[in-house]
Amino acid sequence: MLFNSIEFLIFFPVVTLLFYLLPHKFRWILLLGASCFFYMWFIPKYILILLITIVIDYSAGILIFKWKDSPSKKKTCLVISIISTCVVLFIFKYLNFVSANLVALAQHFGWEHPQQVLHIALPIGLSFHTFQSLSYVIEVYRGKQKAERHFGYYALYVMFYPQLVTGPIERPQNLLTQLHREKKLQYDNIANGLRLILFGLFLKMVVADNLGAYVDQIYEDPHAYSSADILLGMLFYSFQIYGDFFGYSSIALGCALTMGYTLIDNFRTPYLSDSIQEFWRRWHISLSTWFRDYLYIPLGGNRVPIPRWVLNTLIVFTVCGIWHGANWTFMIWGFAYGVLLCLERPLRNLHLSDRINSKVGKVLLKTLNILKTFIIVTLLWSVFRAPSFNSLYQLFSALYHNLTLPMQLHISTIAWIALGAFVLLDLLIRNSRFDVWCSQKSGFVRWLIYAFLIFGITVFSSVQQYPFIYFQF
Amino acid sequence: MKNNTKNTLRKMGMKLLLLTAVLVLLDVLYYYTFYPKDLEEHCSLMSLSQKAIQDNYDIVYLGESSNHAYSEQDSDRRAICVMLDSLLPAYKVGNLGKAACHASIYYDILRNIPHENTVKAAVVTVNMRSFSSEWIYSRLEIALRKEQVMMKKAPALYKRMLLAFKAYPHWTEEEREKKVLRGIKQQTFSIPNCPYHNASEWDRAVGKSGMLYNGTYPSSDTIILACHYIKDFAYQLDEKNPRIKDFDKIAQLCQKRGWLLVLNIVADNMDQIQALVGPELPWLMNQNTEYITKRYEKQGIIIVNNLNEVRDADFFERDFPTEHYTQNGRLTIARNIAEKFSCLFEK
Repeated sequence: MLFNSIEFLIFFPVVTLLFYLLPHKFRWILLLGASCFFYMWFIPKYILILLITIVIDYSAGILIFKWKDSPSKKKTCLVISIISTCVVLFIFKYLNFVSANLVALAQHFGWEHPQQVLHIALPIGLSFHTFQSLSYVIEVYRGKQKAERHFGYYALYVMFYPQLVTGPIERPQNLLTQLHREKKLQYDNIANGLRLILFGLFLKMVVADNLGAYVDQIYEDPHAYSSADILLGMLFYSFQIYGDFFGYSSIALGCALTMGYTLIDNFRTPYLSDSIQEFWRRWHISLSTWFRDYLYIPLGGNRVPIPRWVLNTLIVFTVCGIWHGANWTFMIWGFAYGVLLCLERPLRNLHLSDRINSKVGKVLLKTLNILKTFIIVTLLWSVFRAPSFNSLYQLFSALYHNLTLPMQLHISTIAWIALGAFVLLDLLIRNSRFDVWCSQKSGFVRWLIYAFLIFGITVFSSVQQYPFIYFQF
Repeated sequence: MKNNTKNTLRKMGMKLLLLTAVLVLLDVLYYYTFYPKDLEEHCSLMSLSQKAIQDNYDIVYLGESSNHAYSEQDSDRRAICVMLDSLLPAYKVGNLGKAACHASIYYDILRNIPHENTVKAAVVTVNMRSFSSEWIYSRLEIALRKEQVMMKKAPALYKRMLLAFKAYPHWTEEEREKKVLRGIKQQTFSIPNCPYHNASEWDRAVGKSGMLYNGTYPSSDTIILACHYIKDFAYQLDEKNPRIKDFDKIAQLCQKRGWLLVLNIVADNMDQIQALVGPELPWLMNQNTEYITKRYEKQGIIIVNNLNEVRDADFFERDFPTEHYTQNGRLTIARNIAEKFSCLFEK
């Protein structure tokens, strides 16, 4: 079910109301049932794949906990669990890609072999719940989390509907623990949750979808547009993907909060980052911390010699790229971030900011760094957005060749207002969260903001259907 | 503890009231600012309703492409409603239809005609294909249903909200195809001495064998055409069909607003159907028109049954079932309607 659908507008209040009407001991049944219903709204049969992952990791968790005093058994169990969970992910997400590349490679060496294509659709949000499930097994293995005996609660941890499809990727210490606790009806939770939902819907329906229309035009046929149009399209995509994903995360956080559950914040004004490293601390936080805790640190992190650190960084970011999708463009996108981070380290060590004494100078340097980071991120988003290298080449070739063409895109006032409002709100709420920032305003201002958001969502939202970008992952 | 919950509920109640007031204000604001532009942009059907009063029509004609489609060879390219207008010189006949429209859309167009109007009668097209799943779940249907959202009888802001949250069918192509297939299976009928009981069985039998009812094996294009006819017309009408429900609503509306309702059953290429599929399908189609005639004549509605009135030569599209006629075909239909009107006026 989509958050921005009429079905969800009915589903959400009904589930929340029933949640508070039911006694605590029955709530997991309601939430699990609702989550299944929510997921099955897309393609019902894919719930079985989810069930396989849940059963594997639930059993692994119990066995690891049982054999906590036997390191070899414990490790074997962890490895089996990780491999089995990843195999499911591999079959559905990467098999066709790997097979196509192997066939291409074989052809390169003159060996003709037809490609076996698996005609299956990628289950929505597979990468997200796979990672969430893995984080549970790893935490149990590390002894930081007790194995969950109650299958229903474990299943709910993986399937909790607000974050099932596009995260945030939760840790068991946060979500599983909360699911066991009884939640009381609290006005602040309801109010803050609804604020986040309203804000998220605005970001998705007004900002992302309105900008998306122009982005699609540009990427479909870049040669029909001038260089200025293409640059504008790239800029719009930066805000489209941010609005889209931040919007989804806000709605997810809001839905959970109305029931008293707190999920991890996924974004903290990422476009105000003054370095690539900082960008990854503020963008898709639940994923970047997942990679940090379960891949980067186990590989040795930064407490290793520089060549090894470079290798670690490149591995982590390339895997991060592949996580997004089975396409070379994603891999290159991730790898490029790895390279940039490696290049950034010696620059950071120069401590330029410390050498400037004047306040104005510091501000200027920070502003320039923010601008530099934003330009890099925007350029790399074009790699992320392009469906293939050929499209990417077409885009940059048009950008280079169409310098003299007049602008073709006629951007509506609504799109500009939406973008302006988003940038302004992002600046205003930086280092905070919309609900918290809003609750600090006077009642009159608050209601003015609500009225603006409601009016925007109903009147200025796009009438075209744009699925959430991160659904494909 | 209980007091806490009570306080929370009271607070929420107050905020809900405040929210209602804000929504009412926003609705007024929207109605006077962006609503007219939105109607223009997202609901061209609404302008059709307005046309009835702008042009002071006496008779409104509601039809799909059968009304205006013409052959390149036609010297007279007038639409059926224009021909009807010239055949009834005492009355002003105007078109309120649009391509791919059907009863549900006609109902909304008629309902939105402002109360101060000069309309005396409505001629509503009954396309026998429009009752089949192929049309009910057609690609064009999504766009029409989207337009219908803004035609609802509801506050302007609420309608725009429905549009924003896609409160209309927005099937993917895969979903749509599944719906069509399921619908065809549910198109059951009972024809004496016919081995098939639903359109799906019949369609599969003809498609698989590649053989026409007379035992000949024509080109694959002809078989595809025969299968289309089966899927489009092999059903037995009853009150459960959504289009019948729409026609019922139209009948009630016209009665309420004092308009004479004429149901114009448009012609299909019965000669070609007979030649490709055999006599069973034309028999079933005639049964269905009889059902419509009986059902609505009882309610005092005028029926003009043109189903068998246009000959094969007057259908200019040969490879797909359409109701697109040459000038002769259109004139035949217009004359038949005009005749009915003349009889009525004489009475």
